[in-house]
Amino acid sequence: MQLNHAQRELTLKIVYYGPGLSGKTTNLRHLHAKASPEVRGRLLTVETHDDRTLFFDLLPVFFSTSSGFKVKVKLFTVPGQVIHNATRRIVLQGADAVVFIADSRRGATADNNAYWRNLQENMKENNLDPSQVPVVIQFNKKDLPDARTDAEIEEARQRGGEAVVGAVALRGEGVLETFHAVAQAAYRRLDMRAHLARNLGLTEAEFLGQIFRRMDLTGTALASMYERASGEARNGDGR
Amino acid sequence: MNGASGNGASDGVGASRRESVLQRRLSLADMLDLPSFVEVVRSFSELYRVGIKVLDTAGDKLADVKVGHGDFCSYVFGFPEGRSRCTATVARVKDGPVAPVQGAWPARGDGAEAAGIIALPCFTGLRYLVMPVCWEGDKLGRVILGPFTPEELADFPPSLTDISGVDLSRAHELVARVRRVPERTAAQVLVHFGQVLAALVASGQRAFLTTQLHIEAMLETHRDLEANNARLAQANIRLKELDRLKSTFLGTVSHELRTPLASIIGYSEMLAEGLAGALNPEQLLYVRTIVEKGESLLNLISSILDLSQIEAGRLRLVMGPVDLGSVIQTAVSSVAPQAQRKGVELEVRMPPLPQPRLAADADKLRQVVVNLLANAVKFTSSGGRVSVVMSEATAQNELAAPGYRVSVEDTGMGIREDQFENIFQSFYQVDGSSTREHGGAGLGLAIVKSLVEGHGGRVSVESEFGRGSRFTVVLPLQPPLSEHGGFSALAPTPSSSGHDRF
Repeated sequence: MQLNHAQRELTLKIVYYGPGLSGKTTNLRHLHAKASPEVRGRLLTVETHDDRTLFFDLLPVFFSTSSGFKVKVKLFTVPGQVIHNATRRIVLQGADAVVFIADSRRGATADNNAYWRNLQENMKENNLDPSQVPVVIQFNKKDLPDARTDAEIEEARQRGGEAVVGAVALRGEGVLETFHAVAQAAYRRLDMRAHLARNLGLTEAEFLGQIFRRMDLTGTALASMYERASGEARNGDGR
Repeated sequence: MNGASGNGASDGVGASRRESVLQRRLSLADMLDLPSFVEVVRSFSELYRVGIKVLDTAGDKLADVKVGHGDFCSYVFGFPEGRSRCTATVARVKDGPVAPVQGAWPARGDGAEAAGIIALPCFTGLRYLVMPVCWEGDKLGRVILGPFTPEELADFPPSLTDISGVDLSRAHELVARVRRVPERTAAQVLVHFGQVLAALVASGQRAFLTTQLHIEAMLETHRDLEANNARLAQANIRLKELDRLKSTFLGTVSHELRTPLASIIGYSEMLAEGLAGALNPEQLLYVRTIVEKGESLLNLISSILDLSQIEAGRLRLVMGPVDLGSVIQTAVSSVAPQAQRKGVELEVRMPPLPQPRLAADADKLRQVVVNLLANAVKFTSSGGRVSVVMSEATAQNELAAPGYRVSVEDTGMGIREDQFENIFQSFYQVDGSSTREHGGAGLGLAIVKSLVEGHGGRVSVESEFGRGSRFTVVLPLQPPLSEHGGFSALAPTPSSSGHDRF
């Protein structure tokens, strides 16, 4: 978190981590498509011809609070290829919360575990305490053959303290729910540390509302929680 | 955590590491390639014949193109009152809020409101349009279009005409060179410029972040490699120390083992010779077996002691004139009983030379030949043949000096080519399994190599797997003196390590 009282700016960083081709960029693309243009910046992505993220993807989401604070949430993905560990470590620097995108297929378990350990190591390298920085696990590609069943995912959830969300990111399923879970977790952690509600007048309800009322939540369970901001047409250009 | 509330000791960036560009807020200049951006601004200005300035939030000019208004503004600026009013107007345009306050109003025109464009009047009746540069919710600077002559301007306002000394006809003449355009059109030009600027910033940001991250990743990787190198160097130092301790330990233990073993052999020999009374045939056989096994154990321990001394660099060679022929004969006779028991034929081929002499350590040289012969006999099965061949004293390519060549050939099992390098390393066994057929500690050839090289010679192997092997020792007539003057057997060095050149 970067908090600048003089400029009245708060910047949060959320990093999407996970093995190569697990769907990190797909998550960001879907969020970009569902966010209303006035809260989102351009999706910056540098990829190689085979659709692998070369350095990172960056999607900024921003709004102003009722108390006049400018809030920016920067969503990053890391490159998943093994050789890019240095880049992963750099992108992870200063993260306020992490989404770990796991591939639900049973055959990917070893890869998931390897990247999970890599995440823990790189967090330590960046002086991020894995017990303090919230992590949300997304089990992506739930629709593929060999994917874990809901019962197995529930079993995996019980093995640790992280929130777990199932997803099919290519179809947009679970993507907004994952983002909601991680945004909420990030807010709660920072509120504990920096008392956002007391010092900035920024409550959890406003923080999440400012973002999610400006996202197209149609077809998700979040839709009933956030009425869309009035007078806004359907967002985005569908990219 | 950074910034005013910073209490981020537990959660900030590692102190040793530079903050990543991803954590920084980028300025407009970071994200634009300024020379090409200035070109774009110039072509825009010339196309619409209106000046354009681009300033960042600090008020620094990134681009400034004047078109048409220069002469008029200079003329007005030439009067003291004109100067003060001009300065005030420019200050409002450059540093004032980009909001419809302090004399500004929202500019008219399609998209002007969405872009946040304001219109600002100049005291001369001319007009400016100012647009904020917004990027991802941050204000990065402003674009100033103008001054232009608003289309509806019929005559100069009092704020110009009341300046004493102004020649109005001259002013009219000069203002005619300033572009006359409706505010609406000017606003559309500015909106369009804003779109081009956004595209440039987007690609510029991408290029800037990726190159910076590329550099950071390289530095990070470099740091990792350096750390790994340091760890390996530490491990290497530790291993060398352990290796030295091992050699010392082997030397000490071998010595401690030899003393009691010599007694065991000595007393057994006395028993066998009947010094303690006559033995019956069975007892005699047992005692002779004790002597025989004791001697082979003593040989093994001596090899270990030799090698540990070689490795510690403590095995000195005592050079003197040596008759190579008799050294070979002695060696052959010492392995002859072994060969005979096994049914292996031993053959010696030497040129008919009287006393082939060279300077060497006779004992060590004999040990070299014995080791090679014992190996050959060990790996040759019954009915095979082991030959020792000695050359005449001729020039030897390997040494670039005259010398002798001694080959030990066998018709045994042979050695695979990929093992040639390894067999001269201490403790190495081609067959390292616990169920191997042939005994031995794997020290014989390592000792041979060290001793031969200590004489300034070379040892090499040729073999056809399954058909037999040939070990060749080349010895110079006169061993070259080593750096420190004496002769000592060379400690084996790992095959791949090079020596420092400087």
